[in-house]
Amino acid sequence: MANRHITIFHGPQHPGITGNMSIELDLLGETILKATTHVGYLHRGFEKLIERRTVIQAFTIVCRICVPEPDPNEVNFAMAVEELAGIEVSQRAKYIRVMMLELSRLAAQFLWMAGQSGSIGLYAVGQWAIADRDLILDLFEELTGGRVYHMYVYPGGVRRDLPEGFLGRVEKVLEHLKTRLKLYDDIFIYNASFRQRAEGVGVIDAEEAVKNGYVGQVLRACGIEADVRKDAPYLVYDELEFDIPTEQAGDVYARALVRRAEMDQSIRILEQVIEKMPEGEIMAKLPTHRKFKLPKDDTWVKVESARGEFAYYMAGDGSENIRRMQVRGPSLVHAYTLLENLLVGAELSDVALIMNSLGICPPEIER
Amino acid sequence: MNTLIRNRFGTDEIEVKRDDLSKVTVVKYRVFELIHLLVEQYGYTTLNAITCADWIEEGHFAITYMLTTRARRHTFMVQTMIGREEAKIDSLTMLFPQAEIMERDLHEMYGIDFPGNGNLVELSLENWVHTPPLRREFDTLAFVNELHDFREGRDDNLDVKAEMKRLRALKKAAKEAAAKKEALKTEEKEEASQPSAAQKESGHGK
Repeated sequence: MANRHITIFHGPQHPGITGNMSIELDLLGETILKATTHVGYLHRGFEKLIERRTVIQAFTIVCRICVPEPDPNEVNFAMAVEELAGIEVSQRAKYIRVMMLELSRLAAQFLWMAGQSGSIGLYAVGQWAIADRDLILDLFEELTGGRVYHMYVYPGGVRRDLPEGFLGRVEKVLEHLKTRLKLYDDIFIYNASFRQRAEGVGVIDAEEAVKNGYVGQVLRACGIEADVRKDAPYLVYDELEFDIPTEQAGDVYARALVRRAEMDQSIRILEQVIEKMPEGEIMAKLPTHRKFKLPKDDTWVKVESARGEFAYYMAGDGSENIRRMQVRGPSLVHAYTLLENLLVGAELSDVALIMNSLGICPPEIER
Repeated sequence: MNTLIRNRFGTDEIEVKRDDLSKVTVVKYRVFELIHLLVEQYGYTTLNAITCADWIEEGHFAITYMLTTRARRHTFMVQTMIGREEAKIDSLTMLFPQAEIMERDLHEMYGIDFPGNGNLVELSLENWVHTPPLRREFDTLAFVNELHDFREGRDDNLDVKAEMKRLRALKKAAKEAAAKKEALKTEEKEEASQPSAAQKESGHGK
């Protein structure tokens, strides 16, 4: 009888992989016996580069840490610098930052829909989702000049004020997306072929999720109501009304339902932001123009990204340079501690499905 | 809780950084005792991250463990200093499985040993034999200059300022040449529009 044990590489060149990484799979037939995550295809040494640069120079790098969702990086970076340098940000700048984060969350969820549907062959959803995400990118382009990387949330505030009539255009896009989301429910979320593939697959235990430091939809799909925006509110999230969607099953489908419900909540938050947007300055008055002297101290800041808690450790050393900036996104623990265990016993055809549901972004592991 | 930690661990201060963030610094050999206490008695059930900062001038690394409560409402930064030479601190993998990958990352970037972690293999750097890259003494520019040659035609990268000066001079010269050419053209046009002396004499210019 032929040897039925084989080892294959799932990625980095594979349409079902979420970026530049690979999973080495030991298989018995179609069943996975062992999974090993490999990164190293994209290491750019950002954390090292940032140590040799001033704050304004480092600012242009941070958004590149995560490609599908750069804004949580910008906000974390700005919040950490502001906390160390003792800068107070205006209320208008805080509202604009929330608007950026929620638009970015919506854009990231559309991109996720494109990836997740593609992993089971529902390619029409992907085409739609990318087109709808583009409407949000148009808004980003108008406001910041960049579609994907914005370099907009600067320590002390934001770089530009809103153009004339911008909030009206955001509202128009939201109205359009609200009608579109119902169609996504029909062709994707409640589609029998997706349910059949996703239900009961990649089930995560709630206690394990808490202890092992899993975040985002992984946690909320196990019934745990955890969200940095509620647990440790930052910016103006404590002035806004929204719910944290949860599910109980802990499987791929539950995580998809949570993500879908979160899109509604993002729209709800954005509508309140449009209504409440205060007038005022967008940039704090800095003692020296675009120069920051960070005292010898350290801090830990975090925001809720579309994939879960996203945190930065930052230490200053009394100079204009940052002594250390360490990124802790959801991906490192999800791609190693979680994915390597979750894949054992799963079927080969479910690898992309499970991986997409965990919100793994390799550029953020290899920052 | 703060008084208990202060008395038991002889630490001078528990720094309250924000409502949701406190920091305590303890000596290396008592750090795990404190982490155990926070986990068992005060509900800091999750290890969120292990971070490292290199204080080369003081000769140590600052290792910080970020511990969070179950509801993730409060984070405790437990910091300890370890010597840079033969940097070593026990692994936390017995308590938290996610510590394995966090320690592996720091092992690769700083060369810190974590006894008890059985998987300190390479993560993103392949066959790396040089100084661990995130140590302060690792100079990226010197490393690049030592190991790589500049591609033919890119020699100007060596001195950006000189190159910018040269380009500015070229641009200026081109501008001056264009202005000169323009002036010459206008002169010629003017000359052409004025009738020549011979034409005037023969009466054609009238």
